[in-house]
Amino acid sequence: MPSILRTARANRWHYAYLFILPILALFGLFRIYPSIQTLAYSFFDINLVSKVFKPVGLKNFLLLARDNTFQKAVGNTVIFAVWIVVASTAIGLVLASLFTSKMRAAGLFKAVYFAPFITSTVAAAVVWTFLYNPRFGLFNSLLQLAGLPTRGWISSSKDALASIIIFSIWKTIGYNMIIFIAGLQNVPDSFHEAAIIDGAGGIRRFFSISIPLVAPTTIFVVMYNTILALKVFDQVFVLTAGGPADATTVVVLQIYKQAFENYRFGYAASMAFVLFVLVISITILQYRLSRRWETSF
Amino acid sequence: MRGTTPAAAVGRALILLFLAVFGVLMVMPFYWMVTSSLQTPQNLVAYPPKWWPAPAVLMHYRAALAKAPFLLYYRNSLIVAAISVGASILFGLFAGYAFAIYSFPLKGFFFILILATLMVPIQVTSVSLYILMAKFNWIDTFLGILAPDLASAFGMFLISQSIKGMPMDLIHAARIDGAGEIRIVLTIIGPLVKSVIATAGLILFIESWNDFLWPVIIINSERLRTIPVGVAFFKDPYDINFGPLMAATSIATVPMIAAYLFVQKYIIKGIASTGLKF
Repeated sequence: MPSILRTARANRWHYAYLFILPILALFGLFRIYPSIQTLAYSFFDINLVSKVFKPVGLKNFLLLARDNTFQKAVGNTVIFAVWIVVASTAIGLVLASLFTSKMRAAGLFKAVYFAPFITSTVAAAVVWTFLYNPRFGLFNSLLQLAGLPTRGWISSSKDALASIIIFSIWKTIGYNMIIFIAGLQNVPDSFHEAAIIDGAGGIRRFFSISIPLVAPTTIFVVMYNTILALKVFDQVFVLTAGGPADATTVVVLQIYKQAFENYRFGYAASMAFVLFVLVISITILQYRLSRRWETSF
Repeated sequence: MRGTTPAAAVGRALILLFLAVFGVLMVMPFYWMVTSSLQTPQNLVAYPPKWWPAPAVLMHYRAALAKAPFLLYYRNSLIVAAISVGASILFGLFAGYAFAIYSFPLKGFFFILILATLMVPIQVTSVSLYILMAKFNWIDTFLGILAPDLASAFGMFLISQSIKGMPMDLIHAARIDGAGEIRIVLTIIGPLVKSVIATAGLILFIESWNDFLWPVIIINSERLRTIPVGVAFFKDPYDINFGPLMAATSIATVPMIAAYLFVQKYIIKGIASTGLKF
């Protein structure tokens, strides 16, 4: 028997390949192949009814460069991502640092803060359309009770993006908080105790102990929130459907509309490819920056 | 040492108060959803707002159930989540075992290839996946809904990491006793990593249950709608009758929230220890 076969049998290669075959086949067909096709389809005009795939070169990308709505969508997505990353990460960290292991009702608070995150975004956003309603919504009622001017919320192009951002912060801070609590638990108590002896107050300790020592967690949370924000779709679809007048449209909503409302699959594929480049380059950039940042401590 | 002075006690009380007030704000949308679903039409839109549904009426639930088949949506969501989680865990267990225990050519390549799929979200592939589904004639079928979610790189990775920490002696002993590899995976390794399987299963279940973009793309007919798709189409942009809408979202979310209250400790612990996903 040739030695390669002996090695194969001794190491049970046949089982190894048999065991990874299902996941490889499924991913190859339904994830990897479509990923490659996304780029390929960007160079076609596609009519799914007549099954005509007409190569058009760079036409879709040239159109994209002049598509004001798409540029608005990219801009909104970036604004949304910056807000979610900064606000949701900061609030998550502050909330987490208020938790101590000995605190009463810590479990209850965690459960409450985390509840929005496990709730369906669609269902929660539908509830918020009621809260945000300018005439009958709770938010305007409360503003009115407080003697403050009411707002248009999701029905005003001025407030709509901010409304989506507020909803999304509510939806995600619980997750960030839970991750930060886990990260802070790895900071040894002795650090805080030593700082207390040195007379450092709570706020001082937060900035000079918690923030630097929890940096690896922060990097994870920032990267996770960035990617989540770039993919935003559900709450925009429900709260505003991109309106009023494209004020809140985002990249994935544009992909959805071009492909499944206008049936311009090739054009939508070119948008999807831009999203892919956006996700990958921001991930790599953050990874690079975080490496530099981590080594500076 | 810490927290013995009166000042520290006041500080802790203030923190508790702050967390409590913030907590009330966090649950307010849920509270408002449920109480609104029970208000009379007049009280629902009353100013100043009515904080308690008195009298409580069930008319909005009747209207919601008459307008949309929520039982069917639940059935569909359960079928999709059960198959997707079951298949993901089963394939993840076998592949996780293979990557943790065997050494074979291209092992590193395949491992990275599987994990790399996490970098390409469904938002990017949805258009070309839809075209593929059209070629398969899988549009508007359960197979179409399930296709991208029958395996999970995340689940496979978690299971593989926990198998790696296991003593090889166990597997050697089982082999000497004449157990085949498939039996070893199912009857020895599976039970040993059951807590990781439970964690991954819970996270994948929630993810599948709340999934919206792919289902809304691939589902055309009412009979296949999952809960999020059903709720999204229940909302009529030209009808501002919020009573039935709040009843519909209550029907869609309250059972899940109730279930969450029972397993929240495990979910939170699982998410804190595994990070990632959703």
